[in-house]
Amino acid sequence: MKKEDTVKLISAEGFEFVISKEAAMVSQTIRNMLTSPGGFAETEHGEVTFPEISTTILEKICQYFYWSLQYSRGKETDFHIEPELTLELMMAANYLHT
Amino acid sequence: MPVLRSRVIPPTKPEIEPLKHPANKIEPATPARTWDTTRPASSGDDDGGDAGRKRKLDVSENLLGLEGGDREGFLNLRSGKKVIKRIGETDGGNSVDGKEKEKGKEKMDFEEVRMLREVSKDGVDVDKLDIKQNADGSCNEKRRRRFGREEKGKAKLIDEHSTVNGSEFINLDLELGTKHSEENVGSVSEPRKEQRVDKKSSVRLSESRMEQFRDIARQNASKFAYFNVEENHLSDDNERLVVADGEVEREIEDWPGPFSTAMKIVRDREKKLNGGQRIGSLDPKKKSNSSILWIPRKGQRQGPKLIIPSLKELSMKILVQNADAITSLEHVPDALRHKLSFMLCDSRQMNSHFLNLLFSGSPTEIRLRDCSWLTEQEFTKAFVSCDTKNLTVLQLDRCGRCMPDYILLSTLASSLNSLPSLTTLSICGACRISDVGFKALVTSAPALRSINLSQCSLLSSTSVDILADKLGSFIQELYINDCQSLNAMLILPALRKLKHLEVLSVAGIETVTDEFVRGFVYACGHNMKELILTDCVKLTDFSLKVIAETCPRLCTLDLSNLYKLTDFGIGYLANGCQAIQTLKLCRNAFSDEAIAAFLETAGEPLKELSLNNVRKVADNTALSLAKRSNKLVNLDLSWCRNLSDEALGLIVDSCLSLRMLKLFGCSQITNAFLDGHSNPDVQIIGLKMSPVLEHIKRNPCFRWVPAAENYERAADCTKLTQNLMDFTILETPTT
Repeated sequence: MKKEDTVKLISAEGFEFVISKEAAMVSQTIRNMLTSPGGFAETEHGEVTFPEISTTILEKICQYFYWSLQYSRGKETDFHIEPELTLELMMAANYLHT
Repeated sequence: MPVLRSRVIPPTKPEIEPLKHPANKIEPATPARTWDTTRPASSGDDDGGDAGRKRKLDVSENLLGLEGGDREGFLNLRSGKKVIKRIGETDGGNSVDGKEKEKGKEKMDFEEVRMLREVSKDGVDVDKLDIKQNADGSCNEKRRRRFGREEKGKAKLIDEHSTVNGSEFINLDLELGTKHSEENVGSVSEPRKEQRVDKKSSVRLSESRMEQFRDIARQNASKFAYFNVEENHLSDDNERLVVADGEVEREIEDWPGPFSTAMKIVRDREKKLNGGQRIGSLDPKKKSNSSILWIPRKGQRQGPKLIIPSLKELSMKILVQNADAITSLEHVPDALRHKLSFMLCDSRQMNSHFLNLLFSGSPTEIRLRDCSWLTEQEFTKAFVSCDTKNLTVLQLDRCGRCMPDYILLSTLASSLNSLPSLTTLSICGACRISDVGFKALVTSAPALRSINLSQCSLLSSTSVDILADKLGSFIQELYINDCQSLNAMLILPALRKLKHLEVLSVAGIETVTDEFVRGFVYACGHNMKELILTDCVKLTDFSLKVIAETCPRLCTLDLSNLYKLTDFGIGYLANGCQAIQTLKLCRNAFSDEAIAAFLETAGEPLKELSLNNVRKVADNTALSLAKRSNKLVNLDLSWCRNLSDEALGLIVDSCLSLRMLKLFGCSQITNAFLDGHSNPDVQIIGLKMSPVLEHIKRNPCFRWVPAAENYERAADCTKLTQNLMDFTILETPTT
């Protein structure tokens, strides 16, 4: 993937997840961050940090992004979530508006 | 609830069968026969009334059978012999006959002649004339005595009807002998009645006393009279509404103001359109009634927008299924807690485990939509572990089972200031709380701004007085839906003290009258933002007039089921309340032109409009909606059968903010509209089989925003409701 098409999401522990821009745009919050006019650091560097979201949760979120793209293209499968993650996942999803 | 008392007139539900109503003045087939208006529809006893009505129904069938010309039956009425017998048999049973005779005796000659004729025809005893005389005498007394009973208000509905000829009933006019200002009187009938009375007055005996009795009965009868809601509804075009204190607005064109201008515009537009060619017909074979030009989009329509389940929804679903495994709700924001709680309540999976989670720690907001599963012990135990010092919002709906006075006193109201930060409280359905408990509650929550007391049936006007005394200057929202023990006029003085009140809901309280509305809005109208008057059926256009004059900031108005309102009312509203964002009309009698004119005048700020069952809505309204309603988000046009495909197509394509359109009962809509409209965002509900429950709006205690000062946010809250509703589509509880 070209550099321009990707964004980097950084978790609380510092892990960096590099995903395509299209996938990241599934989240309304990230979309606003990346496209807002205002010269934000996120827009320029294409990097967003999430100090409250842990690595496991962020990983699951990225998986959801890709699943969502797949779903909209017609391939409708189930998205499995481990029950232990759901509470935090819900809160993170609420924050990310996704 | 009506109580059997003599002389005191109970509040009666307007229902009815004027045709079968004995208190109505009958236009007799034979001029001699007139009904006595002293017959009230029912005594104070509702059962009697009901039974009476039932009997009337049966009777009418008999009568219809008789009507065919059962001379035998007719004759029996006339024959004095039979009359006497009946006098002997039942007390009041033949008093009707007696009365008939009484009235008839004015036309004595005519009647006698007729009777003689009949007698001779059928070969009955010719002596009946003499007997009749006697009968008259005795009947007279009977009648007097009967009046006495009636005056005492104990008169019961009796089977006299069975003795009456069917034709009389057929000829019954809708004359409610009434001086009651609110009732509709066939004004033509009055002079007729008078004439009849005049004719009778020429006769002797106890004529003056009869008059007296009749007048008394006439005055009382109106209060007993029932009238058919539907009859009223259908014949409203010819009715003149007489307002409570005598003011009557006659001519809509006499007003100055934007509404009448708008009406003229609407009418002109209609004339122009109808005068021109009929265009816009989709099916050349089908004759189109609509003169609206709307061309549906041709070509392949993009399929319905795919709804991708969001991560939040997915995870919530799993959480709800595994609610018992949740160990803590710490750090979970309130909005999510509420959502979880509502979903659990809806699927009946709410239990004390989750309740404890909600109560644990120092929560700021607790919302439970349904506490009917909760027992007293569970509630007490959960509450004891709760630190209430930060609690700002508490919603315990349907808590009747777990919230009698003693529990209230031991938990919520355990001490003065036990709920120091509470601004919003909802205890809908707390049917076991009395004035004592309420007083304790109010003293322990001094910061209350919004209180929902719907369905708290034991609370009396004392409670409202207490509320006004302790919290009168702070209260901003008050919901007292369906509080059956509250009498509107008794609580009016207390309500007038609530100077900062912005939201008032008196839905379902039958004692709400124009007087109440006037008294209230004159005191508090300048701040009012929301008025919910659903089911307050006594209200007339006068109420709308005063509301329009005194409530300039009104944003939400609910007038569902107020069938007495007419176009004049809408006119007042259009001229006075130009900021209305949510308007709920349901089963009102407004005409198409009036609604269209309202939209032209005051329709710009509308975000939510319901015209459910406002049957006359048609092309004019559609055109005005398309022109004016740019901000409209929710539109309910259920049961508006006069709207064609074209009209709806125009509306949907022009109202670009429209997201939800309800079309229940609109069977005239075809796929021409459904497939032909070009608004991709709108959701159309009610035509095909679709899950219905999600779109039922919850009662306001959920929808409203606690911080009433952020009124703009309330509109967003509607969206929140919608999102939640969307969510439950996926959930669709299988229980």
